[in-house]
Amino acid sequence: MLMNDNVIINVERLHKWFGKLHVLKGVSFSVSPKEVMVLIGRSGSGKSTLLRCLNFLEEPSSGVISVAGETVVTAPGKRVDPKKILALRLKMGMVFQEFNLFPHMTALGNVIEGLITVKKMPKDEAVAIGEKYLAKVGLLDKRDVFPIRLSGGQKQRIAIARSLAMEPQVMLFDEPTSALDPELIGEVLDVMKQLASEGTTMMVVTHEMSFANDVADRIIYVDHGEIVEQGPPDQIFNHPVDERTQIFLRSFLCGDRSV
Amino acid sequence: MTVETIIEKPPEKPDADQSMGDALLSHQKRNRLFQNVKIGSVWAALILILAVGLLQLRFDPGYIGEHYGFVMQGVLTTLGLSVASILIASVLALLGALGRLSQNSIAQGIAGFYVSLVRGTPLLIQIYIIYLGLPQIGTQLQSMGFTDLGKSLTLTAIQSGILALSLNYGAYMTEIFRAGIQSISHGQREAALSLGLSSWQTMRRIILPQAIKIIIPDIGNQFIAMQKDSALVSVMGVWEITYRANRFGRKDSKFMEMFILAAALYWILTIVSSWLEERLEKRMAHAYER
Repeated sequence: MLMNDNVIINVERLHKWFGKLHVLKGVSFSVSPKEVMVLIGRSGSGKSTLLRCLNFLEEPSSGVISVAGETVVTAPGKRVDPKKILALRLKMGMVFQEFNLFPHMTALGNVIEGLITVKKMPKDEAVAIGEKYLAKVGLLDKRDVFPIRLSGGQKQRIAIARSLAMEPQVMLFDEPTSALDPELIGEVLDVMKQLASEGTTMMVVTHEMSFANDVADRIIYVDHGEIVEQGPPDQIFNHPVDERTQIFLRSFLCGDRSV
Repeated sequence: MTVETIIEKPPEKPDADQSMGDALLSHQKRNRLFQNVKIGSVWAALILILAVGLLQLRFDPGYIGEHYGFVMQGVLTTLGLSVASILIASVLALLGALGRLSQNSIAQGIAGFYVSLVRGTPLLIQIYIIYLGLPQIGTQLQSMGFTDLGKSLTLTAIQSGILALSLNYGAYMTEIFRAGIQSISHGQREAALSLGLSSWQTMRRIILPQAIKIIIPDIGNQFIAMQKDSALVSVMGVWEITYRANRFGRKDSKFMEMFILAAALYWILTIVSSWLEERLEKRMAHAYER
């Protein structure tokens, strides 16, 4: 498929093998600018691997990945140019389940690390941008605090600010609230809702079904490394066609997990 | 604040919980102090018994008094050797660890070979090979026409000592650095990569600062061990603590006096070193304190 104005991410025939385990079985999809796409599925279904293949935290076994004009083609045994991988990574920000803040740096230090080390920005310029994004997630007052003194929700909001500061074209969220205490989930989801309302292109792996229902433009149900079903939330949650999707959602409703 | 406002303030009610907590805390503090005094007394008693025992057996403290300064002069040499060697060893260890963790098979091979060879042979042999063996090869090279290269293989005793200690400890510390680097969670690396940092930037900016903080106590241990192993360079006639003690001990057959003095000096050096290491550790813990 050719890149056009209506496609910011395009993935074709993406395969991932972990040894003998076929985790992604030729997945293809595309995402439009400003679209919020939520991936749901059981643990082990391959939805996180899918996200991590996009920015090469896992190297895809084969397939084509295009993000905002950068295209990388992978094939078994073919070495991908690290410069291409870097270019791809700069198009995307990623937020992790375990936050992964750098513990030896302050909140501000975390947020400006990419600006200074990767973009070679002068310190004062980077600090100005860093403060802007700390303010955006409501944590400017934690500017000089080290991560150990922050709550889980605060850590994740700083991690979001850290990714945003690089001004990527797409934000990837890999189960951003799964490691949080229930009372801290809301503040992180609020930031994500705000980003969505501002027109940020987002791909979110999550188990927060009500968030998915409220915010997603499209939901993709992944099972055994394949996209089983996709569509707007109303269709997926209320009229799922595929039996596997139905069973998954029913087990979720019964499991009392924020549906 | 004026005097009146202080007086006008209503007297604070004594909080029962608070005073109970305070009492408990001071009780614990007193107990700990008492415990430390007891342990200290045991140490003092042991030293006293040793001293009295030795004095009964014609130990001559006066001899120590006379030659104390001569041996003391070796302290700086010992320290200098150890500091230079631990610095070079740390650089070697870092390179070794990066080599062992590298995907590159040449780097991996060199690092693995270095660690295996150096850890598998005695330090004393390494010292002999560098000090006595290398000049022999150097002479041969000179006769083949490689004059400068040949000459450069003849090292002074101090140079040989530093080279041998650095190489030896670099090999052991390679494993310490490797373990330290590997102890940093994979998520740190992933977060850095996703921001666009290169592998090397990730190592330098994210992984190493955290790893080094973790291995500071181990490096401190190595430094202490090295100060004592540096006694081995006395075989080359380097005028450090052991060599100086041996010289007089041998001359006047006062081995016990001189070597006890030397032992005491090493002991003091290591106590000071571990105290310094503890302070460094505390300072580096800053970011991790709640």
